[in-house]
Parts: sequence; structure tokens; C-alpha cells
Amino acid sequence: MHERSLVQNLLRQVEQIVAAEGGGVVSEIRVQAGDLSGVEPLLFQMAFDDMVPAVFSADCQLTLEVVPVTAVCSECDHKFEIIDFQFRCPACQAGSVQVIQGDEVKLISVTLNSNHTREGVTS
Amino acid sequence: MNQRTIIVQRDVQADQKADAAVERQRLGNRGTLVVNLLSSPGAGKTTLLEATARHFAGRRSMAVLVGDLETDRDARRLAPLVPTAQLTTGGACHLELPLVQRGLKAIGDPAVDFLFIENVGNLVCPASHDLAEHLRVVLLSTTEGDDKPGKYPKMFRTSQAMLITKLDLLPHVPFSVEAVTEDALRIQPELEVLTNSALDGSGIANWCEFLEQQHQQRLAMYYEPTGNR
Repeated sequence: MHERSLVQNLLRQVEQIVAAEGGGVVSEIRVQAGDLSGVEPLLFQMAFDDMVPAVFSADCQLTLEVVPVTAVCSECDHKFEIIDFQFRCPACQAGSVQVIQGDEVKLISVTLNSNHTREGVTS
Repeated sequence: MNQRTIIVQRDVQADQKADAAVERQRLGNRGTLVVNLLSSPGAGKTTLLEATARHFAGRRSMAVLVGDLETDRDARRLAPLVPTAQLTTGGACHLELPLVQRGLKAIGDPAVDFLFIENVGNLVCPASHDLAEHLRVVLLSTTEGDDKPGKYPKMFRTSQAMLITKLDLLPHVPFSVEAVTEDALRIQPELEVLTNSALDGSGIANWCEFLEQQHQQRLAMYYEPTGNR
């Protein structure tokens, strides 16, 4: 149950982005997670729903996309999807593979609504 | 109304991982190998550390940061042997770097050869948190069953070594060292597999020898090319 800790990190990052963009209302946060990210999507969503109103608004949507765990072989560069947690290269049988997707929670994008453009001109 | 989408593509733990990398380098530079020990509750982390402290006594220096939800029971066991700080999470299921740094400061940030972090007993959440360790070791006791690696893949995938503990109980429990090793190697083909039984002391010398090797190998990158620190 460490989803709250990860949601806290996520919201902190989004806050920094909003500040850098000069403010606005966050309407959507897109996130990617895979089977090795250590999060259970439902628990992550629940933690998000619970924590987001204090930072942004309850209208802020979380879109969580579950992605397959993908790895690349350190020996032959073969890129493959990890199925059933088998971490051996299916092409050359090497045991040294690097996970390139699905082992982290990744903030993909932030959608901001604002009454002002960045230059401060009302649109 | 103006709507725009900012593409970020960033790990939500990027800041925490960067902090951990800085701390890992600081400790590596001065010759401290940080070992994160993870397991279910009761797998024998504290007993292993007591045996390790006795084995290294007078030869290698070590300190322990021990994480638990409540109480300082583990720290009281280890404190007579080595510098120890209890990290109490107050119910949280895993340790995070700021807690580790606070504990390290509490014992005076000693320049020991080995800094062990005894994580909260849990095979799930601690796997996702970098505590600035150079080596991650997962302990699995024979009483827990040999089907665990496949059930907790992230823990075994992110570890560099698996230590099978309580080997002295093998005649009494349905546990196959071969089967558990096969299951774990499927997830992490580069995993080192060790066995021990800390109560009767078997496997402890081997474990400590492994730690010495790891100290040499994993910290080599921090040393000057001339070999001087």
C-alpha cells in the first residue's frame, strides 16, 4: 500500500509543471504503469481520488494506461515483451536484459485549462 | 478558455532516484557498501545481522539501520554489537531515503565498511524504493514456501542476491532449494543464490565472504584509477 507515496510524488511533479507553465487548472493527468511498476492501478486511482482535491480540484481526471513490461537484451539488442515474468532473451537466451518499459510509474502528460495564454492575453 | 497538454514523459520517482544516486555515490566514495535487506516479516534479517556482526567483529566495521512499523525491539538486539538506529515508520509499509538519511545522521554517519538497511518486513512495497543501496538482497526462509519468487516478481527482479534462510528447518518443511532457485532465476537470471542458517551459524562465513567480494566489486568504480580512495 505505497500507492499514496507514489501519488504524492506525482502530484508534486505536476505542481512544479503548473508553476513553470504560469498556472492554470489541471484537467487531466496521464500516467503509464506496467506490471513491474509496483502499483496496483485500482489502488493508485483510489489514492489519487483521495488526494487530488487538496492539491488541484476533484474534477482533475487521472488516466492510467497499463503498459506491457518491455526489455532489451544486453547481448543481442533484441527488444521483447516480458511475458509471465520470464527475463531471459527469447532470441539468444542471454540472462542479461534491461527493462525499458513497465518498471516505473511514468507521468506522460498534463492538460491545463487556463483563461490566459502564457503571455497573459485572454483568449 | 485555453486548453493545452504538456508532454512530460518522466518517472514519478525521478527526484527520489536522483537523490538516492547522490547518496550512493557519497557513501561509495568513502568505502561504505550499502546493503538493503528485504524479506517477509520473520525471515531472519535481524538474526542474520547479529551473526554477521559477530563474524566481522574486529575485522570489518558495520552499522545497521533497522526499519519497523513500531517498537525498537530489533535495534535493542543489534545495539550491543554495532552502531544501530531504529527507523520507525509509524505504520508505513516501506522505508524511504529521507528516513534512512535521518537514521544515519542519528548514529553520527560513521564511515563503516558496511551499512545494512534492514527494511520493513514486506515483499511488495520496499521493492519500489531506492534507498541508495549498492546491493539489494532478498531473504526467503524455508518456512515461507518455495513458490514466492513468482508471486512477488518485482522484489526478486530488483535484487542482486537471494539468501535462503533457516536451512536447518529443511527436513521439517516442504521446501525445495532447487525449485525456488529455478523460479527466482527465471525472473532474475543474474541472481546470486546463497543459503544459511543463522542459528547454528552454517553459511555465515560464506555470506560474509560474499559481502567482502561485493564490497570490492561494487565499490571499485568509486576509487581513483591509481587505486587510492
